[in-house]
Amino acid sequence: MRLDLRRYAKPLAESALSVLIGVAVGTLLVILAGYSPVVFFKALFGGAFRSRNAFLDTLSYMVPLTLTAISFAVAARASVFNIGAEGQMYIGALVANAIGVMALPNGAHQVVAILAAFLAGGLWGWIAGILKAKRQVNEVVSTIMLNWLAFYLVNYVATYHLYDPKAPYKTEYVRETARLPELIPRTSLTLDWVLTILIAFLMFFLVWKTSLGYEIRATGINPTAAEYGGVDPSKVISISMFLSGGAGGLAGAFLVLGRFGFITTTLTNILNWGFDGIAVSLVGRNHPIGILFSALFFALLYNGALEVQVATATGGKTGVPIELVLAVMGIIVIAVAVPGLWDMVQERLLLRRKRVEVRGEAAGTVGGE
Amino acid sequence: MAEYAIEMRGMVKIYPGGTVALKGVDFAVREGEIHGLLGENGAGKTTLMEILYGTRSPTEGEIFVRGRRVEIRSPRDAMALGIGMVHQHFTLIPVFTALENVVLGDEPVRSAGLLDVQAARARVEELMDQTGLHVPLDEPVENLSTGERQRIEILKMLYRNADILILDEPTAVLTPLETKELFAFLKRMRGEGKTIVFITHKLREVKAITDRVTVLRKGEVVGTVDTAEVSMEELARMMVGREVLFELEKKPREPEEPKLIVEDLWVRGEGGDYAVKGVSFEVRGGEIFGIAGVEGNGQTELVEAITGLRLPDRGRVLLAGEDVTGARPHHLYARGLGHIPEDRHRRGIILEFTVAENSILGLQRLPPFMNKWGVLQESVVRDWARKVVERFEIDTPGIDAPASALSGGNQQKLIVGREIMKDPKVVVAAQPTRGLDVAATEYIRRTLLRMRDEGRAVLLVSADLDEVLMLSDRVGVMYEGELMGVVRPEEVTLEEIGMMMGGVRLEDIKSGGAKAEAESTGG
Amino acid sequence: MQVAELLRFLLYPTFYAGMLRMMVPITLGAVGEIISERSGVVNIGLEGIMMLGALVSTYVGHFTGSMVLAVVSGLVVGLAAGFLHAGIAVNLAGDQIIDGVGLNLFAVGIGEVLLYLTWGSFATSPQLPPEVRVPSIHGFSPFVVLTLLVAAATWVVVEKTRWGLRLKAVGEDPVAAEAAGIDVFKVRTIATVVGSLLTASAGVFLSLDWLGAYTKNISAGRGFIALALVVFSRWNPLTALLGGLIFGFLFQLSQSIPSGVVPDQILWALPYLVTLLISAGFLAKARPPGAVGRPYKRV
Repeated sequence: MRLDLRRYAKPLAESALSVLIGVAVGTLLVILAGYSPVVFFKALFGGAFRSRNAFLDTLSYMVPLTLTAISFAVAARASVFNIGAEGQMYIGALVANAIGVMALPNGAHQVVAILAAFLAGGLWGWIAGILKAKRQVNEVVSTIMLNWLAFYLVNYVATYHLYDPKAPYKTEYVRETARLPELIPRTSLTLDWVLTILIAFLMFFLVWKTSLGYEIRATGINPTAAEYGGVDPSKVISISMFLSGGAGGLAGAFLVLGRFGFITTTLTNILNWGFDGIAVSLVGRNHPIGILFSALFFALLYNGALEVQVATATGGKTGVPIELVLAVMGIIVIAVAVPGLWDMVQERLLLRRKRVEVRGEAAGTVGGE
Repeated sequence: MAEYAIEMRGMVKIYPGGTVALKGVDFAVREGEIHGLLGENGAGKTTLMEILYGTRSPTEGEIFVRGRRVEIRSPRDAMALGIGMVHQHFTLIPVFTALENVVLGDEPVRSAGLLDVQAARARVEELMDQTGLHVPLDEPVENLSTGERQRIEILKMLYRNADILILDEPTAVLTPLETKELFAFLKRMRGEGKTIVFITHKLREVKAITDRVTVLRKGEVVGTVDTAEVSMEELARMMVGREVLFELEKKPREPEEPKLIVEDLWVRGEGGDYAVKGVSFEVRGGEIFGIAGVEGNGQTELVEAITGLRLPDRGRVLLAGEDVTGARPHHLYARGLGHIPEDRHRRGIILEFTVAENSILGLQRLPPFMNKWGVLQESVVRDWARKVVERFEIDTPGIDAPASALSGGNQQKLIVGREIMKDPKVVVAAQPTRGLDVAATEYIRRTLLRMRDEGRAVLLVSADLDEVLMLSDRVGVMYEGELMGVVRPEEVTLEEIGMMMGGVRLEDIKSGGAKAEAESTGG
Repeated sequence: MQVAELLRFLLYPTFYAGMLRMMVPITLGAVGEIISERSGVVNIGLEGIMMLGALVSTYVGHFTGSMVLAVVSGLVVGLAAGFLHAGIAVNLAGDQIIDGVGLNLFAVGIGEVLLYLTWGSFATSPQLPPEVRVPSIHGFSPFVVLTLLVAAATWVVVEKTRWGLRLKAVGEDPVAAEAAGIDVFKVRTIATVVGSLLTASAGVFLSLDWLGAYTKNISAGRGFIALALVVFSRWNPLTALLGGLIFGFLFQLSQSIPSGVVPDQILWALPYLVTLLISAGFLAKARPPGAVGRPYKRV
């Protein structure tokens, strides 16, 4: 309730350390593959700043990263491991696309498309929630299966119903009335960026300031105590999975209504953001404010990786593909899973200092634990 | 042979959180004696013995077994030295059979690691005949009674040829009759040359069975004495560090109309079988109704069914005249129920939540804590939390501290305070003083009596027989899901209560017929 | 008559060969995970371990031309992943789910990077030469036999041996197991590594036997289907084998129905839908090992 900076210092240090380990391993891989680490680093961290447009582009990447991370985080607060943001995002994108091609007045059009995508993504997430609450189905299994189902569902509708007759590899463009206005003309930074930041604060308010949030957190930490406290854990789990799916759905809607205006029939332009969200959320400690910063960092990394692919493709060599970011994210997530990472490092440092002291005193006893 | 079977010198244990459990304890047990280890909850008895058994590592200190310095890093090391331990919370695998539990870790095998079930059975059956401890070998342990489980634990030790036996509060789960049998068994074991460490906080047991006793207080040894040379009063003073006045003042009080009525309640347990079989009773305003009985006889399920945490199959529960059978907890709280749950870490408190957050657990959806938009009213919550902390003298760094920063006693005070501040008509208190030190125990007991004097109906469920008899106006004894009878503490003997705990009905005791029968089967 | 025409494929042995092929990776993964979960350790990273096993064995096979080296290297990856997971989940008492998810992400990413950097394709490696591929014996993949043997042997070990009793004890109640003198950390580490090894062998099967190449997303969710199969089987390796055959039949069915009858997407989606429905229908009553997913700490 009251801000205690020391409480945030350790998680912050641990996240930073995890990121460091991830980037270090990524760098090692690049060196092993025979590329110059200097070129790699300059591109990775300079890529986002090479031009005004590149920087604004980076900011706009925050949108799907933040929303899919929130999707993960809301469920995680109820101790549900939702790795279905990916599929929830597909569903949201499809619904936004389908509504976007209809004829509706500007203003209302975006609102209807966004709300419908939220609802559809929410329902998709709710399926996993209700299966867990009522049938004890492990959410990791169910959300992965739902991801595949969403993929083929969207693939089917896009291929047979929503395709663009002039370019059948993709869906029809959504109408201008449904597009989100650009914040800065002729850039990819659209209104959804502002909405996303608002949603992050909304999540903060919901989880820490409302009764529902209290019940979500209580269920996540100790479901039997929550039950004693008058909470119906299965209801809370379904609600949090609905909200979670809704956030995933919004990610898809914003990609369609903002950046792209369409999806390809094999979904190639929106793939993987949902999985990235897991790393973003974990590094942001499943906290909406942490997620905003973590999303900014990963957006920089993502845009940097685009530049890496170009910069490393010199002298006849193939450029390092952008999927490297995924591998780096994987390492980061693994590092996050190590408990007390920071404590371990601190202990090592402490031990070394102790040893030095002991050596200095010539004779000394080292205490127990 | 060395004089001491076990000698522990300068034992220090500091837990990772910084809690100092042992502050340099010296402890020695003679070969072939029954040595009592006496102390309050939290005095360090269990920690000391777990170090000896290798389940905890000491921060400092030396251990000698029969005069030889040893390092005990795991139970395996302890077993190799002939040390066995029966933990207070049994360490049996619930889904394994008794046979599997006994042989686990030292299984007879044929070639290629294949289990030799026949050999295992033969060895264990022989052991059962030798010791007179019999249990059904092929039943999963989860279906057995606590008395049977304890026998399995003892068999486990003896199967490994342990000759130094540690028993941690072994009587907590036994009826008086079973306790008598256990004591007879332990004396027989002593006769066979075994050395026994008997952990307890009950003075009567120390006097009944031990040869010598070491008293621990707050991680330090107060003294080791020959049992025959000290009185109970002296032992009590050593244990608590002051005169213990366990005479709580209980004013006579005329009970009012019934506020909690339970009618023919049937409740299923985890396994699906009935754990509560047709229990009926009523609790009046201004009355404490106690439920005694060995743990695991349906008390937990009964409490859960009354407090909305478990759906009864049949029967009714009436709260202040209203039928609330099967109602959910929040519904019951709104109608005047307060519940001090059995296991505070599992149910009563959320350790990672702050004191303030914990102070409204169960109230989070009620005005004035929540407004009509579903938003928590932070200032209301904080004021409330401050009041709970003040009124119940909770020792906490502040209302924003996590509940995990509080001692067990203060956590329990927080729960009790929260439930009482709700101004309930009916209070259900399950094992309210378990694991607390004497000061906190006294505080909680006084609070329960005060609630009774204020005209509330109190249902007290406790495995501590002394506690139930001391506080209650009427006591019901539970055995295998049924009430054996309801009595007034001042009108019943300990033997009669003990027989009811062992499954004899009150009417049978009164008619006298079953009395002789029960005694003839007793040890 | 139309239906009979459509289902003609049920008459051909190729259908059943395909069904067995489908059965192999999910069953190997499931049996491996059963061993791991019986000790109390969940490994969500099955998918990633399968991918890495397939990737590395393809890579080594491509450049050395040796089948033995290819197989061994794939298994070594399994060992490494097992020790990594055991290190984090068992010895450091870390979060069992998170590091598995991390491994899955890593595997997808590194697979794509290596595919592109090595062979310049985002979709597939070139076909491996025949001498690197695992030869079939009388038209049957040796992996089919291996899978049957592994499932049966695992059952015997778990139910009939001293080691199985200790494995189950550790997974049900590590505190009680420790008190009985069992080294919880050792048992859990071994179980995790063995489980990971079997899962990696499923990956080796995918690349060196079935496909003869590494393709993008080669495991296609099979790691997760194996996880569902574990619960379906109620942690019994023989039931897992049976479940593997049922799943294999359904998967092969979805691929055998001729194109054009129903949209392809519906057929492709069928296995995942079936997995979801089976999970929802069968799993409710299953009782997992008592301590599964919970790290064990000594104080």
